[in-house]
Amino acid sequence: MVDVSGAMPGGADGRVLPPQPWEHLTSETTRTVLRIQHHIVRSARRYLDDQGFVELLPPVIGPVTDPGIRGAKQVDVDYYGHRYKLMTSAFVYKQASLLAFDKIVYVAPNVRLEPLETCSTNRHLAEFHQLDIEVAGATREQIMELAEGVVGHVVDAVVSDMGDELAALGRDVTALSSWRSRPFARVPHAEAVRDLVEGGHMQDGGAEIDWAGEEILSIKADGPFFLTDYPKGSRCFLEKEDPDQPGVLRTFDLIMPGGYGEVISGGEREAHYPTLITRMRETGENPSKYGWYLQLSRHGVPSSSGFGLGLQRLTRFVAGLEYVWQAAAFPKVPGVVSP
Amino acid sequence: MSRLSAPHFPERAVRDRARKGTACAFPPITSYGTTLFGASGPGAAHPAPGDLIDAARLVPPIFMDLRLEKLIELGREPMYGDVELSTEIGGFTARAPLFVSAFGSTQIACSDLGMAVSRQAGRLGIPMVIGENIVPVNGYGRIGACTPLSLLGRVRAYGEELEDGLGGVAIQQSTEDADAEVWNLVYSDPSAQPLLNSGRLAFELKVGQGAKPGIGGMTVLPRTAAAAVSEQYTTDQVFGDAASYLRSSSPGTYTEEILRQQIHLMRNNFPRARVWVKLHPGRDVRRAAAVAWRAGAHSVTVDGAEGGTGWAPTSFMDHVGLPLGECLRAIGRPPSCLLATGRMWEGTRAVKCLALGARGVGLGRAALLAVDEDPDFGLQRLVECMELEMRMLISALGKYEPGALGLEDLYEGGAYVDDPREALAGYDASLR
Repeated sequence: MVDVSGAMPGGADGRVLPPQPWEHLTSETTRTVLRIQHHIVRSARRYLDDQGFVELLPPVIGPVTDPGIRGAKQVDVDYYGHRYKLMTSAFVYKQASLLAFDKIVYVAPNVRLEPLETCSTNRHLAEFHQLDIEVAGATREQIMELAEGVVGHVVDAVVSDMGDELAALGRDVTALSSWRSRPFARVPHAEAVRDLVEGGHMQDGGAEIDWAGEEILSIKADGPFFLTDYPKGSRCFLEKEDPDQPGVLRTFDLIMPGGYGEVISGGEREAHYPTLITRMRETGENPSKYGWYLQLSRHGVPSSSGFGLGLQRLTRFVAGLEYVWQAAAFPKVPGVVSP
Repeated sequence: MSRLSAPHFPERAVRDRARKGTACAFPPITSYGTTLFGASGPGAAHPAPGDLIDAARLVPPIFMDLRLEKLIELGREPMYGDVELSTEIGGFTARAPLFVSAFGSTQIACSDLGMAVSRQAGRLGIPMVIGENIVPVNGYGRIGACTPLSLLGRVRAYGEELEDGLGGVAIQQSTEDADAEVWNLVYSDPSAQPLLNSGRLAFELKVGQGAKPGIGGMTVLPRTAAAAVSEQYTTDQVFGDAASYLRSSSPGTYTEEILRQQIHLMRNNFPRARVWVKLHPGRDVRRAAAVAWRAGAHSVTVDGAEGGTGWAPTSFMDHVGLPLGECLRAIGRPPSCLLATGRMWEGTRAVKCLALGARGVGLGRAALLAVDEDPDFGLQRLVECMELEMRMLISALGKYEPGALGLEDLYEGGAYVDDPREALAGYDASLR
């Protein structure tokens, strides 16, 4: 007999789960981490403000949300009898927002019911926040430069302004400064796959780098690096296919060193209506539920590039935390019933 | 009363259409919910001509090298009971080359019969496919009561009877199901973890179905139920009856690239689940199967034109799509798991399909009829009878496992069935 009763996973495999809120919120470690996170958000906002970005307040629900999240389930909302979704990411709204402004940023809450196996990665939360950025007319290379700028700026700000906090957490500051004088490396997906396979890790060349593979690459790295050129079929329909390399998407992830893994995912967007609707089918989507968005793209949306930066993940890296839930005031680890 | 008559013309059918209009494109509405549909064939009340499979004969040789091998292995003369039927089907271990095909959300499949099939298939240790549109119509069964008709209800009924190491569940997702994210729901659900962890969960991409190739799934719904799903499905009042509506799923648009990329996405998003693909009996079925296998599908099911349990237009049942035998002949030697469905209920058709290259065959109408006859043991007895027939037939051919069957065992139209085609290629990760 197979047990299909639906019992939730516990912490029996040695993972440390978040304590109760009164214990977590009164812990000096939590307070220090959240102060660092506050400084990260504040520094990023200042940096982007100086570059001419307009911060918009993000939508929370809508008829569609980002479907390109491997294995994760969206949360349905009954919106006056219509099936709406909580944002897994406001990706189509970011693109639409460019009709108002050329450079936009959200500090956006996102909910993804991640597959239960992600509770052992130490870096997945079912509820998290992103710095969501989109720039009209930008190429992937330009948006990667921006991502490099934002990350470098906030890391420098924390190192220069919060030395005591980092010391209290035992964070080795050289892990945050040793790579600052070098540009971030660029590693195409195919090269990363080759590295992993040569090292004995069974990585599917046609899929995203799996979580174990990402950790291996992150541990080996001597600084942050961009993982570029994901294969088609591994990301959502909005990610533009490279016209010079059919089957390759103009995407990138930013991987932090030290085993902390991915903190940014982004790329150049598809804005051409016939290509968009064809790509929707290639990703198994029902175009009819994207009615408003397809209508918008028929009228024309600007070409653009953008990315989402996971704020709890970046905090985890900066503060040197073992678990990403330590960087959330009210953490929700996948599958664990939490307040 | 009309004065005209037309004795050499289907006068009655024309007059029916003149009176009832679009309702005549379907079987009588009164049969919905009590009748299993699909193409007719030998054994039916009004049989259509048989296909290649019906026409072919299984022809044992006189000299049997494989029987000698078995004799040496056993140290005694082999008998039919020595045929090992246990087979790997789409990444699952099945006790026989059999599985239960999808029924979808029609009224019959959603009754207690669907649950009875789940329980008995689990007990038998044969894989089971759960059809599309269950979640939008009957719910998943997670929040609130887990009703027996929900997707989770069926998975539970199957899992509760299943022995370790055997069987597995494949779950379909239609275009409309994609709104409910059925696969994501199952993949992230705690109750699916035991199946996932033991490698017994698959997702089946339904490209089409044998009973109505080129169009989507259809059911008949009362007005209130039709109104409730009208945002997701097309509902149409075609029965000349204000109380009944035709509910249609879209068939979904496929090109080679769309099929290839959907399979890539399934492998990417659900790396621990098997990927199954179900094709309708289209004229390019060989090319579609080739695309699916090269993109990494673990199994491809071909649903012949004889397939189907659900509601379908009469024009499709006997006139549209390739017969199963022609599909199997078109595909030739498969590089990976090929499954066949369409009017399976006894051993000879099953063994002929295996000889034509299928790894296993699916039971649709036969499974529902068997549990209708006996909800506790009907399917079990039907399968036991098929297994006995398969053992006797396979051993008669001097073979002792289904995988040893081949075209040399089949004789049709004055010749042995031959395969002039080049074998198709399997999964190639470098082809994106």
